[in-house]
Amino acid sequence: MLAACSGVQSALNPAGGDSQHLYRLTVVMTVGGTLIFIGVTVLLLYAIYAPPERRAWLGTRRTIIYGGLAFPITTLSLLLPYGLIVMRDTDAPSPDALQIEVVGEQYWWRVRYPAEGGRPDFATANEVVLPVGRPVSFTLTAADVIHSFWIPNLGGKVDMIPGRANRLSFTAERTGVYRGVCAEFCGDQHARMAFDVIVLDPAEFDAWRAAQASGAQAPETPFLERGRTLFRTGGCGNCHAVRGTEADGQFGPDLTHVGSRRTIGAGQFPNNVGTLAGWIANTQHIKPGVRMPSYGMLSGEDLRAVAGYLESLK
Amino acid sequence: MTRRRFWQVFMMLCGFIIWAVQFTLIYGATSTTCALEVAETRLLGIGIVPAVIAAVTLAAFLCTAGVLTYALREHRRLQSGNAGVTDIFLSQAAILISAFSIAAIVWQGLPALILPACA
Ligand code: HEC
Ligand SMILES: [Cu+2]
Repeated sequence: MLAACSGVQSALNPAGGDSQHLYRLTVVMTVGGTLIFIGVTVLLLYAIYAPPERRAWLGTRRTIIYGGLAFPITTLSLLLPYGLIVMRDTDAPSPDALQIEVVGEQYWWRVRYPAEGGRPDFATANEVVLPVGRPVSFTLTAADVIHSFWIPNLGGKVDMIPGRANRLSFTAERTGVYRGVCAEFCGDQHARMAFDVIVLDPAEFDAWRAAQASGAQAPETPFLERGRTLFRTGGCGNCHAVRGTEADGQFGPDLTHVGSRRTIGAGQFPNNVGTLAGWIANTQHIKPGVRMPSYGMLSGEDLRAVAGYLESLK
Repeated sequence: MTRRRFWQVFMMLCGFIIWAVQFTLIYGATSTTCALEVAETRLLGIGIVPAVIAAVTLAAFLCTAGVLTYALREHRRLQSGNAGVTDIFLSQAAILISAFSIAAIVWQGLPALILPACA
């Protein structure tokens, strides 16, 4: 439990101003609500068990007016503006924010960074990388059903609705690795729809951005070359784009730099040759109902070549 | 219904009526100006939407406070004479309703004042 509270996916471990406000509001409401609940329970027990002459004051007009009317009205009159101010100050758009577009799909995240200044746009998937200290503004939508975008350490949750663009703004204030999840049931594999959130120093972020925008690395060994050929002949490119090659499918995640991501399968498995091979051969077994067929017919050697090729796409 | 009874019932409902009028005016003004895209207009440095909300809320607050004062005085007057139960009930209801309406009017004005008009 305590370990979970210090975790990478926890609203109790805020890493930005907005999540800090939301966390404080939660603490005030929870602690205040608990204290009032205890007080009311004690009074209730007192009213039931105390001798009549001692509990008589509970029924007086004065108790009812102060305890039953004045107290709740005052409490609510203080909580209401507090809650409204939190609401006004969180998710506030900023003109110089970094723009990121995320589309929820069954069961993964399509992520796009539009061109900015002289820097070109590019696509990635299941991973959101942010510069620390700079406001970001997400444009959120969905391709198929309703999903919900939530990074508990950084901000509130926002629904992703087909045909509609919702917005979410916040500033990450602590570098580190966090985790976002789909927070609206969207189908069988809803629970396996997560993503990594990596908050970097501005310089590291710029380097990451430049690397992501470039085309894919060419295979350096004959073995990786074979993986690339199998990727083409296997039809992977019909669904996946590997920029700089003939693979330009848009149906599934962009794989141009898949080797640089921490996880695969929408935040499900650490990314290495073994898990990549397991994923390709057993997609429907690992994540049943996902929109990629299992490639169980590949020989072990071929599988290792394809996985190795993908892993080399840093 | 006699004229007097009508007046008593009206005073009893006055808090609700003012509350409803305030609601219609402030949210009506907010949504209309948003729809017409003039919500950000400022006159003499003050945004028109917050100005309307503040003025209407203040007026509603003062009117309802007046009703409450009247109802309290009426109640005291009735109790010192030999008034019927209906008269006493109506005056008590007027006190309760106007007091609650004051809280409701403030609570209703706050979100309109604190949050951005068009979101
Ligand atoms: C019918 C379209 C389709 C084809 C063909 C296809 N994929 Fe996929 N692939 C997908 C979809 C959709 C996903 C996202 C799955 C999910 O929901 O997690 C995916 C996910 C992946 C991932 C994980 C990406 C990540 O960032 O999590 C890898 C790796 C991958 N595919 C490799 C391959 C390889 C290699 C081939 C060919 C042997 C292939 N795919 C063929 C649709 C396809
Ligand atoms: Cu989802």
